[in-house]
Amino acid sequence: MKLQTEVLVVGGGATGVGLVRDLSLRNIPCLLIERGDFCSGASGRNHGLFHSGGRYAVSDPEAARECIGENRILRNIAPHCIEETEGLFVSLPEDGLDFRDRFIQACQQVAIPTRLLSRDEALSLEPGLHPDLLSAVQVPDGAIDPFELVLSNAKDAEALGTRFLLHTEVTSLTINRNRVRYILARDLLHGEEYEIEASYLINATGAWADRFLRLAGFHIPMALSRGAMLITNQRFSHRVINRCRLPSDGDIIVPNHTVSILGTTSVRSEEPESVEVTSQDVSLLIQETSKMIPAIKEARLIRAYAGIRPLFQSVEKGEDRAISRGFVLIDHEKRDGIKNLMTITGGKLITYRLMAEKASDLICQKMGIKADCSTHQKPLPGAEKTRGFKDRLKALGRMDILCDCELVLKEEVEEVLKERKLYDLQDILHRTRLAKGTCQGGFCVYRLLGILHELGMAEGDSNKKLKGFLEERWKGIRPILWGSAAREEELIEGIYKGIFNLNNKE
Amino acid sequence: MHYDLIIIGMGLSGLMAAQTASDANQKVLIVGKGMGGLALFSNTVDLLGDISEGVKWKDGLSRWIQDHPDHPYGKIGLEKIEESLSSFNSLFPPPYTFQSKNEANSLIPTGIGTFRPTFLIPSTLMRGITVREKKTLIIGFKGYKDFYAHRVADQLKCRGIVLSLPEKLQGEISATALARRMEQSSFREFIGAEVKKHLRDEELIGFPALLGIKAPTGVKKDLEKRIGASLFEIPVLPPSIPGMRIFNRFKERLIQKGVTFLQGYSVSKALFKGKRCVGVEISHPPVITLYSADHYILATGRFTGGGLKVDRNRISEPLFQLPVHQPGSQEEWFEKSFFEAHPMHRIGVLTDSSLRPMGEKGEPILENVRVVGTILAHQNWIEEKSREGIEIATGYWAARQALAQ
Repeated sequence: MKLQTEVLVVGGGATGVGLVRDLSLRNIPCLLIERGDFCSGASGRNHGLFHSGGRYAVSDPEAARECIGENRILRNIAPHCIEETEGLFVSLPEDGLDFRDRFIQACQQVAIPTRLLSRDEALSLEPGLHPDLLSAVQVPDGAIDPFELVLSNAKDAEALGTRFLLHTEVTSLTINRNRVRYILARDLLHGEEYEIEASYLINATGAWADRFLRLAGFHIPMALSRGAMLITNQRFSHRVINRCRLPSDGDIIVPNHTVSILGTTSVRSEEPESVEVTSQDVSLLIQETSKMIPAIKEARLIRAYAGIRPLFQSVEKGEDRAISRGFVLIDHEKRDGIKNLMTITGGKLITYRLMAEKASDLICQKMGIKADCSTHQKPLPGAEKTRGFKDRLKALGRMDILCDCELVLKEEVEEVLKERKLYDLQDILHRTRLAKGTCQGGFCVYRLLGILHELGMAEGDSNKKLKGFLEERWKGIRPILWGSAAREEELIEGIYKGIFNLNNKE
Repeated sequence: MHYDLIIIGMGLSGLMAAQTASDANQKVLIVGKGMGGLALFSNTVDLLGDISEGVKWKDGLSRWIQDHPDHPYGKIGLEKIEESLSSFNSLFPPPYTFQSKNEANSLIPTGIGTFRPTFLIPSTLMRGITVREKKTLIIGFKGYKDFYAHRVADQLKCRGIVLSLPEKLQGEISATALARRMEQSSFREFIGAEVKKHLRDEELIGFPALLGIKAPTGVKKDLEKRIGASLFEIPVLPPSIPGMRIFNRFKERLIQKGVTFLQGYSVSKALFKGKRCVGVEISHPPVITLYSADHYILATGRFTGGGLKVDRNRISEPLFQLPVHQPGSQEEWFEKSFFEAHPMHRIGVLTDSSLRPMGEKGEPILENVRVVGTILAHQNWIEEKSREGIEIATGYWAARQALAQ
C-alpha cells in the first residue's frame, strides 16, 4: 500500500507519540510507525518515577532543570497519569550529611523546592523507613503511569488526524539527492507492505536510534545502559524513597498503585533487546533498597524486569550514570547532509513533551512555517477524570471480575476491545491492569482468552497464544522464584502443564 | 495417645496409606490441613503419560521402570503398583467407578481444549475420550469465569454455548456452588431444558467437571434423560470437584473404620530419639497435643502443600528436617524456557526401597518414618502426568512396609 504524509515519525514511545501530538496540534499532518505496541522500549520499561529532577540536581543540573520544568507542566496537562506522592531523599548513617547539604543547595539552584525533615518527621510520614536514618529531604517527586500518558497523547493525535501503524517495521530507507525519498515498511502481524513518502522523517526510536540510522548508512554513538527493577506485591511507602547520595544501584523505591518498584541498576549493554534480569541484579536490588526500608528483605516479589536507557554519548566517558540524561536532537542536514532527516533520542520519560516541542520547532523551521507549540497548556484527553479506583470499587459488587489480583472488571476489558481492534494479546494486557498483579496473569489471561472466544474476537490458535504469554511471563518471574512465589508457580505449572497438558511438543 | 501409625498429610498419598493400614485393622491417626492436591489438581488417575495410547499399561510401565530405577515407581515395582491401583479401585464401587479403556491410557479433553493422557477415568468423565468421534456440544455458564465453552469448542472444532442461570443465581458463581446446585432436581430441570433448547444434532454434551459432589452419576443420568444425549465432564481450573469426590469417599470410609481423622489441623513439631520419631505435636489452638505411634508417614506434598519450603538459596523439609536432594545453586532450579522440564520439580526427599528417608550417600535417617507422594525426589509429576499414580502407589506401599515391620 502506498501512503503519503508530511511528517513520518518512527517509534511509538513517549517521544514519538508526544511528537505527533505536538505536530498535529500545529496542524501538520503526520503518521507514526511502531514495530511493536506503544511503549515497547524504555517508555514501558522504567520505574514510573515522576521526576522532580532531584535525582540529577547534583550530577546533571541541566537535566534537573528540564525535569522540574516538565514536572510542573505535566501536573496540569496529565493529572490522570500522575500520583502526586512527593518524594524523600533519605540519608543513612553510612551516607553522612555532606551530600545532603550539597543536594539541597543544588536543588535550590535549579528551583526544585525542598523541605528538610528530621529523623522523627520522616519516620512519622513513612514508618517503614530505616529507624537509624539521619534526615530526609522532601521534593515534588511522584509516580507516573507511562502507558496511560502515551495512550492519552496518541488518542489526541488520532482525533486530530494522525495515523498510527503499530506492529509495523521499517525495512528500508531510500535516499536520493540528499533527501529520504520514501521508506518501505511491513506489518509484522498481517504481512501487509507499505511504501511511505514523507516530506520529513523523524527517528524517535530511542535505544534503537543508531540501529535505525544504519538503514540509511549513518551511525550515532549511543551508550545503552540496562537498568533492572523488581516489583513487590505490596506498597511499602506512600512516597517515592530515594537514597540521598550520588545516583547509584538500588537507590530508589517508587510506589505504584498497590505495589512498589525497586530500582535500579546500570549495566552497559550492546543490544537494545537484552532485557534479561540476572540473579545478581535481584540480590543487589534487595540488598540496597532494604537499607532504606528494611521490610523489603522479606518482601514477596511478583516480577523482575529491565529496560534499556537510550543514553546518547557525545564524548567517551566511563561511568554511564555520568552521561547526561538530557536529550539530543540531531539535524542530519547539518551532520550528514540529509535535508529531511532528524533524530531525537536520550532524555527522560518526563521530558518527552519538551523533546517533542524542540523537534517540532525544528520541523516548523525547516518547513518555513510559524506555528507555536501548545502542548504545555493543552490538557491531554482524560485529564478531566480522576484516577478511577473509587469508581471501580463502587462497580465491584455488580460486575464480573476478571482479575482477582487487580480487580479488573470484564466490562473494562470489553470496553478496551471495542475501542480499537487489538490483534496481539500483549496489546490488550498493556491497556488494562490484567496480568499486573500477584499471579502475573496466571489466571486472568486464561479468562481473557475465553472471553475473546465468547465475543467471537479470537483469531488463530488460543493455546499458542497462551503458550506465548506463559513464556513471556516466565522471563519476569524466573529470577524471583522462591518463598510464596515458588509455591504459586508450582500451582500454575500444575494447572497448565499438568491438568491441561499444555506443552511445546506439537 | 498412642497409635500404630500416624500419617501427616491428607492428600491422596496420605489417604491411601490410611486406607491400607486401616484395612489391616491398625490403629491409625491421619492429620492434615486440607485436601492436599486433590482439591487442586486431581480429576482422573494419571499414571504415566509416556505410555502411548494402545499400549497395555503394564507393558509400558515395566519398560519405563527399567530406565527409571530411582523413580518412586522403580522402587515399588510393577506388581505392587498394580495392587495399589486395585486397592484404590475397591473404594469406588459402582456407580462412580474408575476405569481404564483396554488397560491402556486414554486421551481426555481438558478445559482449554487440549488432550491429556490419563489412565483411570471416573464414570462421569469417561465419554470425553470419544469427543473426537462424536458431534459434541460444550456447555458453559454465565457468571462462572473459570470455564469458557466457546474456547474449548473452537479448539475441539465443535459447538459451544453459554447458559444464563436462573435470575436469583445471576452474578458471579463458583464451581462448588454450581456443583451443589446440580444436586437439586429443580436446577437440573432448568439446565436440562435450556440445553435441550440449544441442542441441534449433537450426540455428546460436555460440561465443566461440576456435576455434583455427592452423587455425580445420579446428576449425570438425570440430565442425560432430560436432554436426550450422553454427558461427560471436562477437567477445569482448581478447585477440582472430581478431586473433592475422591477425598470425601476416603474420608467417609476411614471414619467408618475408626481412623482418627483430624482435618484442618497441622503438625507443629516432631520429636526424635536417636533414629526414631517418638511423637508429633498437633496444634488445636489454643492447645497443643502430643501424639505418638510406632510408625509415621510423611505425606505433606511439595510447595503448594507446605511439605517443602524454599528460601532464596535452599529448599528444605520443615517438619522432620529431612535432607532435600537439590541442585547446588538457585540459578539451576529453573530452565530458561517455561516449557522445559525444570529441575525444581525433580528435587525432593530421597528414600530407600521401603520409602524410608535417606541421605545423599544412602545413609538411613529415620527408621520408623516413611515418605510418600509428591515430596519424593526423582519424579516430576507435572511433566510425567503421574501424580495420582505416584500418590496411590507410594501411600499404599509405605503403609504395607510399616505393617510388615
